Amino acid sequence: MSTLFKLEKAKILPKSRIFDFLNLLKENFDDLIAPVRKGKYTVFSEIENVEDIVFEYTRTLLPPKKFILKYRRERFTYDARTLEIEKKENLSKKQVIFGVHPCDLHGLTILDQIHLGEFPDPRYLEVRRNTVLIGLSCEPDEWCYCISTGTAFPDGANWDLFLTDIGGKYFVSIGSDKGDELVHLSDGLFEEVTEEDLNKFKEETAKKKHLFDYERLPDLERISQVIELEYESEVWKQEAERCLSCGTCTNTCPTCFCYTSVDIPSLDGKKVQRVEFITSCQYPYYSRVAGGHEFLEDRTARFRHRYYHKFVGYPYQIGKFGCVGCGRCSAFCPANISMVKTLKKLREGKKEKTNV
Amino acid sequence: MNKQLEKLFRLPTVEDPYQYKKVRIVDIEDLAPDHRMFTLKFTDERVSQNFDFVPGQFIMLTIPKAGEIPLSICSSPTRKGTIQITVRRTGRKTKYLYTLKEGDLLAVRGPYGNGFPMDLMKGNNVLIIAGGLGLAPLRSVIWYVLDKREDYKEVYLLYGTRNYRLVLYKEELERLRKRSDIKTIFALDRFESEEDRAWADYEGYLPGLISKVDLDPEKTYVTVCGPPIAYKFIGAELIKNGYHESKIFVSLERKMECGIGKCGHCQVGYKLTCVDGPVFPLWDTKNLPNMI
Repeated sequence: MSTLFKLEKAKILPKSRIFDFLNLLKENFDDLIAPVRKGKYTVFSEIENVEDIVFEYTRTLLPPKKFILKYRRERFTYDARTLEIEKKENLSKKQVIFGVHPCDLHGLTILDQIHLGEFPDPRYLEVRRNTVLIGLSCEPDEWCYCISTGTAFPDGANWDLFLTDIGGKYFVSIGSDKGDELVHLSDGLFEEVTEEDLNKFKEETAKKKHLFDYERLPDLERISQVIELEYESEVWKQEAERCLSCGTCTNTCPTCFCYTSVDIPSLDGKKVQRVEFITSCQYPYYSRVAGGHEFLEDRTARFRHRYYHKFVGYPYQIGKFGCVGCGRCSAFCPANISMVKTLKKLREGKKEKTNV
Repeated sequence: MNKQLEKLFRLPTVEDPYQYKKVRIVDIEDLAPDHRMFTLKFTDERVSQNFDFVPGQFIMLTIPKAGEIPLSICSSPTRKGTIQITVRRTGRKTKYLYTLKEGDLLAVRGPYGNGFPMDLMKGNNVLIIAGGLGLAPLRSVIWYVLDKREDYKEVYLLYGTRNYRLVLYKEELERLRKRSDIKTIFALDRFESEEDRAWADYEGYLPGLISKVDLDPEKTYVTVCGPPIAYKFIGAELIKNGYHESKIFVSLERKMECGIGKCGHCQVGYKLTCVDGPVFPLWDTKNLPNMI
């Protein structure tokens, strides 16, 4: 065994002990969150019984951001007369999110950068501090294009442990001190990495790259420039014509974070709750200011806005695309609008419009 | 685990940017129909003295029970103690604000945004172009420049609005007109009455009056605020008259929920109006689609 593993960058967890490990997590955290089946979908949910957990899935309906950046969250409550801030939501709940795929880990990392960059949000920080992320390797389906966005592997994202399936065992990478603590907590469950495990790990990593259909993947080279130069393209209008402005794409997106803030007075008018709701740039009133002017004037403008933000806006703000290639916006779109196809059409111009 | 997160994890706490400071309305002045100026004073005297900002920056104002709105500060940081805002009654929240009286409490977060580059402008002429309510954020620039008069060369104010009834800060403008250290051109869109004719220097829209300004464009910074539709024409006219696009600064309006780059609504092109603006060089208006 090489000395490298004494650094404890990785461990091995035999699959036969995975439920023991999950039960241990359940005991040690207020909430264990993991993917479970719900009808024909997989969703992240609080776990009662660890045997419900699904280990092989492609994508959940909603990304794990719903446990970090809740879709409806209270900022604070204030007294309507004195304006004294009285109550803030209790965020001390310790949670562990298990089974997060690399794309979603990258999605959360992007949210981290947005919320903890300029003007760090203490509320987000508190939730994030009390959250442990355990990633899980996956295999792509026909909607995934994480290999194009550079998010097919967890490297570069924020996570605590990452489990790579190497046959009968999980190769457990340790990404933080919190992750290391978990490994020590469950002493006896984990084994040292052998030379054979390491080779298997490398093999599995290489294998994933060959599971993608490269014909179908989008070409994201210089996509920011393409979108800027094709700003007036007919493609936007053609695609937007099918759009229902329902907001499914943004609600299921692991990096979308736009919210609306509303002050809700209590029935007696004495207290006011400031509540934040997740919103969508696809909704008509998204950009409406007092007086009625809408800066995103129609459906086409709103449709284009999402692409522009993901591929031009995020690179300016945080230095990387706001898209992690999870495929949710396309897989769940009720109008069958595909991000990959739109980007292809845009790159190829109008001539391809019939056969894509 | 990236650097940023690791660093923050180790801090005991961070300052809460959502935490507001209470202010009391100390004065209300009706400027024009549905245009009202509120003078606000922080309830905590120390906050009052430490509240510093740059002309062109904005605050998030909490109107109890109604919610928060972004408003530009129309007073100058050179006059400490109170801050002033000018509000047009136009939406649900401003309607509610108009029901409040002197002595009532509001709350303020901020200041946010970049503001006008007052330091960069030092040693140059300043041309201030205001259309309608756009005079509010520029009032801050006017008083700032006049209070630090020796830092700037010639100062020119070009103000246009619809009619005399809608003219803001009437008395102040009258005093400016009489001052020798600032030149003014006041215009109304169309003369509809005798008082319109009596007050204004010209009849017409702002872009048409830019050629009347006698400043050396080479040594002039321009600050513009007005209705979005006007920017295109004012910008084009300024360029035609030899002003530099990197020395023309426009202040934008967008929907905002947070003021600190978290809610996404104010995205304009790839920039955020709240943290990267609301003041942008004219070049950005060409560079960022859908900006004006």
